[in-house]
Amino acid sequence: MFSALSRRRVVALVVLTCLLFITLDKHGNPVIDRVRSALATVLQPIDTATRAITLPIERVWYGITNYDDVERENQALRDQIEHQKGNDVEARSAILEYRLLLKLEQLASKFNSPTVAAQVIGDSPGNFQNTVEINVGSTDGISVGMPVTNGAGLVGRITRVYSTHSLVKLITDPAYSVPAQVLSSADDEGIQGPLQEIPGGGVVTSSTSSTTTSTTVAVTTTTALPGDAVAPTTTPPATTSTTVLEVIRETGLLEGQGGNKPLLLRFVDNSSSIANVKVGAIVDTAGGTKGLAPQGIPIGVITRIVEQTGNSSSLVEVTPNADLRQLNFVVVVLYKSETVGP
Amino acid sequence: MRGFVVAPLIRLVPVGLVALSIQRVVFANHPLHDVQIQLVLALVVAAGAGGGMDRGAVAGFVLGMMADASGDTPLGVLALAYGVGGMTAGYLHRFTPDPQWWLAVLFATMGAAVGEAAIPVVKTLTGEQGWINANLLVTVPIVAVAAGLLCPLLMPTGRWMMGVKRKKWKAITE
Repeated sequence: MFSALSRRRVVALVVLTCLLFITLDKHGNPVIDRVRSALATVLQPIDTATRAITLPIERVWYGITNYDDVERENQALRDQIEHQKGNDVEARSAILEYRLLLKLEQLASKFNSPTVAAQVIGDSPGNFQNTVEINVGSTDGISVGMPVTNGAGLVGRITRVYSTHSLVKLITDPAYSVPAQVLSSADDEGIQGPLQEIPGGGVVTSSTSSTTTSTTVAVTTTTALPGDAVAPTTTPPATTSTTVLEVIRETGLLEGQGGNKPLLLRFVDNSSSIANVKVGAIVDTAGGTKGLAPQGIPIGVITRIVEQTGNSSSLVEVTPNADLRQLNFVVVVLYKSETVGP
Repeated sequence: MRGFVVAPLIRLVPVGLVALSIQRVVFANHPLHDVQIQLVLALVVAAGAGGGMDRGAVAGFVLGMMADASGDTPLGVLALAYGVGGMTAGYLHRFTPDPQWWLAVLFATMGAAVGEAAIPVVKTLTGEQGWINANLLVTVPIVAVAAGLLCPLLMPTGRWMMGVKRKKWKAITE
């Protein structure tokens, strides 16, 4: 047995070494990165072997215990797919119109960034980190800071890259934050309704006004006679319909709260911005040169606005579109921002 | 001290790799009430309950470092938290040199609770805010109870990897 002195030495050594490593790693250290990479390489075959052993047992267990639930879920999903087919057609139409508008306004599209598809191969092993592991790495062109999405919306961003796999910090992690914008229409009907009325051959004019924290876009559409290249200015067209749509944009910073809690949206100018946002409004990435994701990736929907007692600020809670607990396939957007950090 | 620290590493590292892999592949994918049972922490507290404070601290440090290096936390965060957990579980040996199984389970549960609760505290001290919240009231008890239940199974492994031999008592002959 060891004396009290050597015991104290061991404990002191452990604590001091931990503090030293935390300090070194927080400031970034290539030696520590190499150690991480080496451990990842060593763990990979062990993980594969563990998976090979446990997967059949897991499947048999699920087959016995979850069969009825899976059948029920399958039926519900089939119904949902039928319902989604209609929405899909509407969404495609909206995207086409959006691209047309971008073309007419000579703006860059968010769909320009190339992407890499990936599969989630592991969840975060601890209760105090919201990360997932995906099966693409530096050999696939992945680098730290790239945004990760799935069919529903933003999932997170790449924080560590190894040769064949990467770690993704999920948007729910408290260490994650991304500039976001709230899109809502002044008439509270959402932006998709009136935009669908824009015909392909119509003349589109727009005017834009902006403030420091919000941008208001007014889109006026006029439908000319079919076949007319340019409508004569003196003669009014046979049928004319004008739709005025005021889209309100409020930009802020979206932060995770840990666990499965909803995200928190903080505005630059809270008092003026809160008045313009409503429950149900769509939240997507704001982009910008220092943004961590390109503009326009959907994030979620505002589900709650809580007014805080004691001060004028309010908490805006956003529920992510993506189901982060059941991620399977994701897409890494090969987008590099100016500010990249773990 | 060299033999005390270096010799167990030969067993500690391979056992740690297997435990880490099981944690990542099995326990990470099967949360209980959204809480992941921590096999590596359970192994640390079992080693502490079986070998004492100093051995618990060393086991916590080494296995925590491995968990840090395989995940996204800064190197040293889990090592410090698990080290504290292992020490707490090993405090049992201050009371009795050869503890009964239920005492080991009790101290392993306490050690796991301290170790798991220490993670958000260390994270906060290193600048990662937001983890100290009401969720801890669910996370810590589940992790602690699971570690306590796993303790009788993991204690022989914990003793072996730390090179602890069971004491053999001899009656004093007159």
